[in-house]
Amino acid sequence: MLPISLPLCGLLTDFDSKKKRKVAEIYQALNSDPIDVAALRRMAISEGGLLTDEIRCKVWPKLLSVNTDDLPPLPGKELREDNKDYQQVLLDVRRSLRRFPPGMPDDQREGLQEELIDIILHVLKRNPQLHYYQGYHDIVVTFLLVVGDRLATALVEKLSTHHLRDFMDPTMDNTKHILNYLMPIIDQVNPEVHDFMQSAEVGTIFALSWLITWFGHVLSDFRHVVRLYDFFLACHPLMPIYFAAVIVLYREQEVLDCECDMASVHHLLSQIPQDLPYETLISRAGDLFVQFPPSELAREAAQQQAERTAASTFKDFELASVQQRPDTVLRQRFRERLRGEERTKSILTKPRTNRFVKLAVMGLTVALGAAALAVVKSALEWAPKFELQIFP
Amino acid sequence: MSPSSRSCPHPLPTAGLGLPYVQTRIFKIIVIGDSNVGKTCLTFRFCGGTFPDKTEATIGVDFREKTVEIEGERIKVQVWDTAGQERFRKSMVEHYYRNVHAVVFVYDVTKMTSFTNLKTWIEECNGHAVPPLVPRVLVGNKCDLKDLIQVPSSMALKFADAHNMLLFETSAKDPKESQNVDAIFMCLACRLKAQRSLLCRDLEGRPGQPRRLEPTHDANGKNSCPC
Repeated sequence: MLPISLPLCGLLTDFDSKKKRKVAEIYQALNSDPIDVAALRRMAISEGGLLTDEIRCKVWPKLLSVNTDDLPPLPGKELREDNKDYQQVLLDVRRSLRRFPPGMPDDQREGLQEELIDIILHVLKRNPQLHYYQGYHDIVVTFLLVVGDRLATALVEKLSTHHLRDFMDPTMDNTKHILNYLMPIIDQVNPEVHDFMQSAEVGTIFALSWLITWFGHVLSDFRHVVRLYDFFLACHPLMPIYFAAVIVLYREQEVLDCECDMASVHHLLSQIPQDLPYETLISRAGDLFVQFPPSELAREAAQQQAERTAASTFKDFELASVQQRPDTVLRQRFRERLRGEERTKSILTKPRTNRFVKLAVMGLTVALGAAALAVVKSALEWAPKFELQIFP
Repeated sequence: MSPSSRSCPHPLPTAGLGLPYVQTRIFKIIVIGDSNVGKTCLTFRFCGGTFPDKTEATIGVDFREKTVEIEGERIKVQVWDTAGQERFRKSMVEHYYRNVHAVVFVYDVTKMTSFTNLKTWIEECNGHAVPPLVPRVLVGNKCDLKDLIQVPSSMALKFADAHNMLLFETSAKDPKESQNVDAIFMCLACRLKAQRSLLCRDLEGRPGQPRRLEPTHDANGKNSCPC
């Protein structure tokens, strides 16, 4: 057997020590009084995310402001009677074999599938304004597998009334509206790719399952899925659409080499590569969000229309946290597409100062209520002075 | 299949003008129907040849294609597989009805509601301004589940007749029926090819008679036209 070469050995040690350091920082944030949610958000965003499912069980509830001491009781079996979505949920869950770890014994998987059905029906029953969509089960299964049924029910309920709220309207009009945001983001970074896709009339449906399942439907490696969930839970509800844009941009050469017609481009883009460099893409999505937050795009649109004064980034998040519906932000801010000379082409080369702090602060406002807003305001005060304590 | 009754809803610019084709022609087919009737399996079976053992709910629209050869011409058949849940139809699938050359309606022979809902699917299709002359076929899937059949062939045939569709009863799962799955798409491709080469000169033609293809287990060459 060959001995491990010294540089590799050094790398491993380096990686281990980074990881250890991060774990320690996460527990420090969890144990501080009050809990340092801003730090937890930064940890969830920065390299490696929350690292283990054990940590996720502790941190995900904090990111969603869910009180784990006061979980609602699990529902009884009467749930399955007279629920309008029951049949559809049943069909989708029974077919969702691929979402469970390969090699899991059938009876264990079947037990989890039953739990999955119950969680979904429970949340729907308690929130009659929410409507089930195919793909919702892909999100819920991720929570079930990481935190178990009891906690998953509470987390998913909070998520459904906030981050996923627009997808759960009676129609998918708001979802479509959020998807419409994809092309302008692409346009900001690479107008050539944008124009090519427009000429192909590819539309945005290739990214629909990405958006409404937080990529749970399309990624086969569960580790990648949970890493993305760390990121999305710590960020603004619109982050998944930025991440979708980043994936398209990462494949820009493939797109441009593709035949310029709807079928070819749709086919190419809907086949998501499984070996994406997730950490790099997460950083890029974060950069894009910081540089082109909804308000940044909207500001110029607003100037053109002379109907709005300059809006701060923070305003968007205030709005989002008050209304808790990403689409509302878009509707109000994103009136007109940004075009031409104002484009910034050097986005990805700009300095990344305080990126994670900004993202974490932005994500904070997704947390709820007046108390959360107070936290955000104080977070904004200290943010510029804060030294990044993340992996180099 | 008799080509005399067909119209040409989307003539290609050079079709029938005596100019030689250099490009592979493309036929775009959309597959619709209730959730879990087997749309994805059917399209997989046609495009990939095998029955996928783990298909999941389709979210939005999936795309598959296969190049077939009919009477010496290579034709690319593009199949757009759609989500069955109602909410996806309304605002999401619209884009994919544009310029379709044929529509495949699928129901599950073991589930009566998937058959009775076909009315809604036909309305949906009409609502998306698919010209009435675009060929439509009706596919009753899951024929292998013989003990569970709820939709009798006679009922389906009557419905297909009333709506001027061809009827196929098939099973995407049963490998012995795979010929029949091929036949659905090949039949449409033949029909479309016939239309094109006729240059729409027969717009006033008599509508085609619905027919039911009995499962055929003899191995016909894939290049032959099944109709």
